[in-house]
Amino acid sequence: MAQVLGILKTPDDTVSAIESLKTAGFTELEVYSPVPHHGIEDALDRGPSIIRLFTLIGCLIGVSFGYFLQIWIAYDWPLVIGGKPFASIPAYTIIGFELNILLGGLFTVLSLMFFGMWKTRKGHDAYQPGFSGDLFGCVVSCHGDQVARAQDLLKRSGCTEVRVVES
Amino acid sequence: MAAVTEPVPQTPDQINDDILRVLEPPTPLYVLGVLFCATLVGVGLVAFLYQTYWGMGPTGLTHPVMWGVYITTFVFWVGIAHAGTLISAILFLFRAKWRNAVNRGAESMTVFAVLIAAMFPLIHIGRVYKFYFMVPYPNQRGLWPNFKSPLVWDLFAINTYMITSIMFFFVGLIPDLAAARDRVRDWRRHLYRVLALGWRGSSEQWRHWSRTVLHLSGLSTPLVLSVHSVVSWDFATSLVPGWHTTIFAPYFVAGAIFSGVAMVITVLVPVRKAFGLEAYLRKEHFDNMGKLILLTSSIVGYSYGMEYFMAWYSANPYEQMSFWFRGFGYHWTSTWIMISCNVLSPLPLWFKWCRTNIAWMWVTSIFINIGMWFERYVIIMTGLSHEYDPAAWGYYVPSVVELTILVASFALFLTMFLIFLRLAPVIALQEVKELWYADRSHAKGHH
Repeated sequence: MAQVLGILKTPDDTVSAIESLKTAGFTELEVYSPVPHHGIEDALDRGPSIIRLFTLIGCLIGVSFGYFLQIWIAYDWPLVIGGKPFASIPAYTIIGFELNILLGGLFTVLSLMFFGMWKTRKGHDAYQPGFSGDLFGCVVSCHGDQVARAQDLLKRSGCTEVRVVES
Repeated sequence: MAAVTEPVPQTPDQINDDILRVLEPPTPLYVLGVLFCATLVGVGLVAFLYQTYWGMGPTGLTHPVMWGVYITTFVFWVGIAHAGTLISAILFLFRAKWRNAVNRGAESMTVFAVLIAAMFPLIHIGRVYKFYFMVPYPNQRGLWPNFKSPLVWDLFAINTYMITSIMFFFVGLIPDLAAARDRVRDWRRHLYRVLALGWRGSSEQWRHWSRTVLHLSGLSTPLVLSVHSVVSWDFATSLVPGWHTTIFAPYFVAGAIFSGVAMVITVLVPVRKAFGLEAYLRKEHFDNMGKLILLTSSIVGYSYGMEYFMAWYSANPYEQMSFWFRGFGYHWTSTWIMISCNVLSPLPLWFKWCRTNIAWMWVTSIFINIGMWFERYVIIMTGLSHEYDPAAWGYYVPSVVELTILVASFALFLTMFLIFLRLAPVIALQEVKELWYADRSHAKGHH
């Protein structure tokens, strides 16, 4: 598989490039941008991030552990106070809530590290420092016989530079 | 509408250059500033070691006032820590775009302030090496902490807030660290390469990153409201006259946001001037922060009035005595400093001219910082020194050790902020660029 890189100046041009490549049947696209952009995200149409699932799991573990910890400890060292139940659920809501947030946040960030950093750590041969400044990069992975077509589409989409990347 | 007189960045590359210029080698004045603050921190450390060696005798804490400057300062720094999350999380969810220029500075202050706040309960307990008694873990004594105690809630709330704030701050910083990695040529390049965690700004990374920021904002919003509520319950769940009131949670949260925004102004005004960031920290930002100050000042002022009204209306002699003492007892100056700084000094901000006058805003913000420290001091000191039994009334004067540690906490805050200024972009590069692109896109008619 060859990689064709097109460098663009604006997010709107990048969206046009993605749409024309997708219309032409190219499916393996990667875009580098200095900022997040809804238009680019919509054009690539990759659906919502899986991170939301991990946030939910973290929150559920956090709140369950928070209540469990306190209730278990109340029965581990039972103190009779005015004939009331050992475990005081309303008072335990505070720590249940805090651990819900803590574990939810930790799971969110850890899943970003895994899905956003670890899983995407390879295959960035086309990356160049300008992509963290003011340039947008659109990379098409395609077979050798499709390179010329991809180059042509990228040039027509407003790319200031188009080249084949050696991997 | 007034004519725009401030410079406007022309290209995203100029935004990069302007903001990353702050990371260039420091001036002698900057080095002197860091050394001065670090020296004060060293003096504070000596005071702390002295107190740890001799016990709590060198402090002014004695019966009945067993909470003093340390707990006052703890509550003050927790309050300061609220601005970052308000600006980063709550205003993010409300899509308030003006936050983009100030959120990084505010987030860094949140992290530094909450780290300092977390130290004060440890300093206050005297035997700092026994702090772990609060942590629930299986131990040979077979004892657990009391989960019905607000002090234990505080441990969980503050630590959750600290960890979440650090995560939020760091996640927001990753794209900017990558931008710095791609530009800086000295030894810091290696540091940024490690900290940027291999960020390339690929669509896949942005997809997960954006979702993470959204979720952390969603989680942080109720968290920030809960943290100062929990801190207020340290007081409100007791039976001390002047403390035992249901208004405390919203009153404390509003006060926290009030003081936090003021501290953001206090710190960012000199940064704006020193690094020529007028194009990014614009008058409209100060105008909006001025409006936030007005809103929260009004809530705080209402709460002060309502406390006095309820003391009178309750017909409870202890409450009435406590509030009379607060206003006219031998610490009356503290109360009137609090009211003057927190209620009266923000009043000129009803006028736009004052909100867009940077010097005016800066001076007002300093008054608010002073006033908010005194608010906590008044609540703690007057509440404890005049409880129910006149035979148990007392007096409190902060000692030199306590005041030294108080000053050192401000010095530590400034030291950390000054070092941060040189290590990472103080303005969120990526967010300012995002706004720049959005403005250009809308101007062309795209959505």
